[in-house]
Amino acid sequence: MKRDKHLPLTETVYYILLALKEPAHGYLIMQKVEELSGGQVRMAAGTLYGAVENLLKLQFIEPVASEDSRRKVYVITAQGMDILRLDFERMNHMIEVTKAALR
Amino acid sequence: MARQGYAFTGKSFGYVFQLAQPENTVIKMDYRKFRKQADFEDYRALFEDSGWRHLSGTKSSGYQYFKKAAENGDEDIFSDVDSKAARYKRLSDMWISLASAFIPIFAVLISTGSINSAALFNPKLLYYTPGLWEQSGAAFWRSFLFETPFAVGRGFIWLLIPAMIILYALFAFKANQQYKRTHEGIR
Repeated sequence: MKRDKHLPLTETVYYILLALKEPAHGYLIMQKVEELSGGQVRMAAGTLYGAVENLLKLQFIEPVASEDSRRKVYVITAQGMDILRLDFERMNHMIEVTKAALR
Repeated sequence: MARQGYAFTGKSFGYVFQLAQPENTVIKMDYRKFRKQADFEDYRALFEDSGWRHLSGTKSSGYQYFKKAAENGDEDIFSDVDSKAARYKRLSDMWISLASAFIPIFAVLISTGSINSAALFNPKLLYYTPGLWEQSGAAFWRSFLFETPFAVGRGFIWLLIPAMIILYALFAFKANQQYKRTHEGIR
């Protein structure tokens, strides 16, 4: 089976998609990514903005209506969810084989 | 500049500085244009939330300047090499589109025969005053100097178009070089 060309996801993209299981605006995404990664991934504003723009283009995330007049709110799409699962399974497989090999 | 007591306050035709208390600060530039005002507001809100103050730039100005506002905020507006390099890519793309915008104009000038190439070698052709070259002394100089700006316009103004194409292409090339260099991690 041919692998999806978007795999593997980068660490930041993976965490952004995971963070967007719940709708969030830009700065909240940054905070969630930092929290989810245990402080390992700290994104700067310009980098996050570009990443969100790219994920919107790929239709992995989409804007949703928000009460905030200035900040746009995004949420993961079904397509984004699929790619997140695929990458999770990819990493899970790596963990399984590594565990077996290093035992 | 900020360390010497000049605060960067904006950009019009040049950079605008005002006398201020000397301070150690961080000013960063991004390059981005926005289709909608709401997109621009969202962009600025994200930077403000992350501890940056928007100093200069409008929805379609492209250049966006930010000053570090939060004590414990980030030192840079980019946290990875790809996004840092992508800024130069956007800049390069803008110069390319600007350069290519002038190509059809240039093509039209050529195809309609608007360019007087003979005048490049014989600028006298550009002066239309009857009997100008037979005049002498003050009368000649008065007529000659009076018509020179028009003659230059007639004969050489078109050179601005290829000059702009070349200049913009050069800027695009430079920005692209910077893009590649940043991508390779050499700064």
